[in-house]
Amino acid sequence: MSADRIEDLLRRLAPQVLGAVVRRYGHFDLAEDAVQEALLAATTHWPRDGEPDNPKAWLIKAASRRLTDLLRSEQARQRREDAVAQWTLPEQPPAQQYDDTLVLLLMCCHPSLSPASQIALTLRAVGGLTTAEIARAFLVPEATMTRRITRAKKSIKDSRMPFGMPPEAERAERLAAVLHVLYLIFTEGYAATAGPLLQRAELTAEAIRLTRMVHVLLPDDAEVTGLLALMLLTDARRPARTGADGSLIPMAEQDRTLWNAGAIAEGLALVADALPRSVTGPYQLQAAIAAVHDEAPSANATDWPQIAALYELLLQLSDNPMVSLNHAVAVAMTDGPQAGLDRLVELEKDERIGDDHRLHAVRAHLLEMAGDRAAARESYELAARRATSIPVQRYLNGRANRLDVR
Amino acid sequence: MKYIIMMYGSQQDYDVLVGKPTDKPAMSPEDIAAMHAYMAKFNNELEESGELVDARGLSAPVHARRVQLKAGAPVVTDGPYPETQEVLAGYTIVECESYDRATELASRLINPDAEGEYVDVRPVLDSHEDL
Repeated sequence: MSADRIEDLLRRLAPQVLGAVVRRYGHFDLAEDAVQEALLAATTHWPRDGEPDNPKAWLIKAASRRLTDLLRSEQARQRREDAVAQWTLPEQPPAQQYDDTLVLLLMCCHPSLSPASQIALTLRAVGGLTTAEIARAFLVPEATMTRRITRAKKSIKDSRMPFGMPPEAERAERLAAVLHVLYLIFTEGYAATAGPLLQRAELTAEAIRLTRMVHVLLPDDAEVTGLLALMLLTDARRPARTGADGSLIPMAEQDRTLWNAGAIAEGLALVADALPRSVTGPYQLQAAIAAVHDEAPSANATDWPQIAALYELLLQLSDNPMVSLNHAVAVAMTDGPQAGLDRLVELEKDERIGDDHRLHAVRAHLLEMAGDRAAARESYELAARRATSIPVQRYLNGRANRLDVR
Repeated sequence: MKYIIMMYGSQQDYDVLVGKPTDKPAMSPEDIAAMHAYMAKFNNELEESGELVDARGLSAPVHARRVQLKAGAPVVTDGPYPETQEVLAGYTIVECESYDRATELASRLINPDAEGEYVDVRPVLDSHEDL
């Protein structure tokens, strides 16, 4: 059995094993540590002794034993400190019918946790990644990530939230939080906000894997379907998005034959499946926009009026300055650069994005389209100064240098 | 008449079972296999004679939860037992003709190698009217 196959199997079983152990014994925080240790034990034992007949049962047994040890040390410490672990039973008994993986996701993405903690805990408890792997993906020291995860688990423990589905009335909101976390993991991987690499494929792949899992659990949820489609349709362009030297290639200049046709086909099918089903949510709309891009044979042949219309719908759902910015681009591509520049004037007053490199970069592009080279160059340079990712800075400076005004 | 035979153990006795040395020496895999074989044979015999009702072992004492009411609200204490406290570790419920028969069965559930080990036998009531 190859190491890769074992890794895949373990990552798939991780949330099921954790769910089973927490269901049986409680103690989410210690159980999570115990499961990590069981996974680690499997990576050393299985290649040597062979995969057990029932890998899940093996892991549950190993994790339960480890949990007993961890509980003993905790209880011994509490007795030394004369502290008693007491808690009041929640008034609302948890619902009986639910899937453990979904419950774990909802727990890890609980609104009381910060987004950074939600992301880290989700990747560890549901994704089965080690703290070291998560730290590497987010370019922070392992000790920082350990603290973040420990804090998140403590806050779940202290809140005494039961292991079960939240009450019906809260579910939609809680699921939205899960989708947001998955979306953040994806975007962190796709458009790395810091560091020398533009994209970190591991994180996008993990976000897609977890979203696929949610889609299997909730096949009728149109927003889950929309989010999965959005990820696939966006990730499909990844092979064309960077040059051989790691530089950024904007969509208009990408070699579209490099786009992943399989991912596009799957994404398009999901969009077609989700759109007619219910009230259209933001992920479905973004997926629909990505679909229009992916279906276009070239940048000029893109159906920009449709993209502009979809962004308008999206703007009605959420007051998001990034959506306004993208809308301005679509308007410029439909009605000419000046129409787009007019919209930017309003956005520049929005402090959430007014000085963001992306706004300066869009202005620069539109000014270049309009033929105002000097102003375009100035905006490119400003955008490069505001950007934190090195490939993005290099790209923007490159655009600026091309517009030598003398 | 039903009788419950109760077996006791502390967290330390559980450690001995999973091969962890404490004050007492850990049991070897052979000892444990022999013990399981003995218990299986014992239970099989009872099943054949129709006297076995149920036989179960309980998880390690650290997993215990104690539930009490405080100001009317149920409050849970995790791991309420000290490490060395002997607590219920397993039970066998038998249905047999006499207390003496149940006691004789109970005597076979004591580990002859463990000095001082004991089990308790108590008649199970069919209803509260039997009290």
